[in-house]
Amino acid sequence: MVQVRRRSRLKIWSDVIFALFIREIRSKFSDKFGVSWAVLEPLTFILIMSYGRSLIAGGKDTHSMPTFVFMMYGMLLLQLFLSTFSSSASAVKRNKPLYAFRQVQPISAVLAALLMEVLTKVLMFGFILFFMFFAQIEIRIDDALSLVMLTSLLAIFAFSFGLLFGLAELYVPEMLKVRQILTRPLFFVSGVFFSLQDMPQQYWHYLNWNPILHAIELARQAAYSSFGAQGVSASFLIMSTLAACILSLSVYHAFWKGAISR
Amino acid sequence: MISLQGITKYYPSKLGNQVVFDDLWFDIPDDHNIGLLGANGAGKSTLFRILAGSEYANKGSIKTDLNLSWPVALATGIHPLMTGRENTRFIGRVNGISDLNDFERKVQEFSELGNRYDLPVQTYSSGMRARLAFACCISIEFDVYLIDEALSVGDAKFKKKAREAMIDKSKVANLIMVSHDLEEIRFFCDSAIVIADGRLEFFNDLEHAISVYKGGAK
Repeated sequence: MVQVRRRSRLKIWSDVIFALFIREIRSKFSDKFGVSWAVLEPLTFILIMSYGRSLIAGGKDTHSMPTFVFMMYGMLLLQLFLSTFSSSASAVKRNKPLYAFRQVQPISAVLAALLMEVLTKVLMFGFILFFMFFAQIEIRIDDALSLVMLTSLLAIFAFSFGLLFGLAELYVPEMLKVRQILTRPLFFVSGVFFSLQDMPQQYWHYLNWNPILHAIELARQAAYSSFGAQGVSASFLIMSTLAACILSLSVYHAFWKGAISR
Repeated sequence: MISLQGITKYYPSKLGNQVVFDDLWFDIPDDHNIGLLGANGAGKSTLFRILAGSEYANKGSIKTDLNLSWPVALATGIHPLMTGRENTRFIGRVNGISDLNDFERKVQEFSELGNRYDLPVQTYSSGMRARLAFACCISIEFDVYLIDEALSVGDAKFKKKAREAMIDKSKVANLIMVSHDLEEIRFFCDSAIVIADGRLEFFNDLEHAISVYKGGAK
C-alpha cells in the first residue's frame, strides 16, 4: 500500500497548486493547435491593431516609440488583466468537483489559474520580442524592473477581482453576466489604442480611476523613458492593488467554506 | 474517534432553508465498519461530505485525528481530458503520496485498465472510470474509507476483486459506507448508523439497525 506523507500546511498548498497547475496545462493545451495558437492569435491581433494605429498616427512612431511597441504593451497588459480576471473567476466554479478533496481549496485553484495566465503571457512576451528582433523593430526596455513590478501588480489586481467574482458567482450565478459586461468596455477606457496624452485633459478624471490604464501607461514609460507618461502614478496602482487584494482575501476568508457548501 | 460537534447544516432553497442537521452532537465509534442507513434525502451523502471535509457545516465542526479518505463516489476528481495515469498522479499529489510512480503502478494494476491507462479518461466506459476512481482510493493508506455506492459498479470480476480488497482493508482500517444495497452493507459492515429526522443513532447490531431502518420496532 502507498503511504501518505505527513505534510506541513505550506507543503500541502504547494503540492495542490502544482497538481492543479499541471491539470490546467493539460486541459488548456489538449488540442493540436494548443500552445502555438495561444501565442499566434494575440500576435496577429496586435499586428492588425498596430497597423490601424499607425494609419491614425500617420507614421512609424507613436509618442516616440514604435507603434507596434506602443500597441503591444497596451494589448498585452490588457489581455493579461482580462484573461487572468476571467480565468481566476471561472476557476472557482470549474474546479468545484475537486473540492471533494479536502486539501483543495478554491484559492488554490485560483492561484493555479493565475500562475498559468502569467506564464502564458510571459512566454508570449518572449515570443513577441523574438518576432520584433526578426522584424527589425527596435527592442528597448529602459527600466525592466519597473516593467516586472507593473506586470505583477496588474496580475495581482486581476487575481483579486477574479477571486471576488468567482466567489460571488457561486452565490449568485448572474454575476457571470455582470463580469462579462464589466470587462467589455475596458478595451476603450484603458488607453490601449490611445495614450492618456491623446485625450483632452479635462476628461482625464473620467479615465484616471482605472488602474489598468495606469499600468499600461507606466509600462510604456518603463520601456521608453522618452514616452513621457502624464496623469498616471505608480502609487495609485500600488494602492488600488493592495486594496483589492486585502478586500478579496478578507471576503474569501469569511465566505469560502460557505460558498463551496451550497 | 470521529466527533461531530454541534453540526448544523442547511441548504438554502426557494422554500427557505432546508435543514438537514440541527445542532448535532455525535461520536462515531472506532473499530467498526459502519453502514449508513437512511431514507432518500435523510442526509447520508451530506454527512459523508461533511466528514470528508468536501463541504462544511454552517455551524459546528468535526474533530478527529484519523486520516479520512475523500468520499469515493463514481468518478470524483477525474478529469475527462487527462489520461488515467495523469489523473492518478493528480490524486496522488493532492493526497501527498511520497512515491508517485509506485502509486501509479499499483493503480494501473488494480484497475486492470492495461494500456488504456494512458488514454484520456473520456474514452473510458463509465465502469472503467469508476474502477479508476476506486483503485486510486483503495491504493492509498487511510484510517477510514468513505465509500459512497462506489462498489456497485464494474463487472462481476472487478466487483469480486474490490470486495476482496475492501475485506483486506477492513482488517487494518475502517470503513464507512453508504449503499442502498442491504446485502452489500451486510457483507462489509458489522454495525450501522441510522439517520432519521436529522438525528443519528448508532447500532452495534447491524440486523437491529436494518430492522429499525425498514420501519420495524426498536
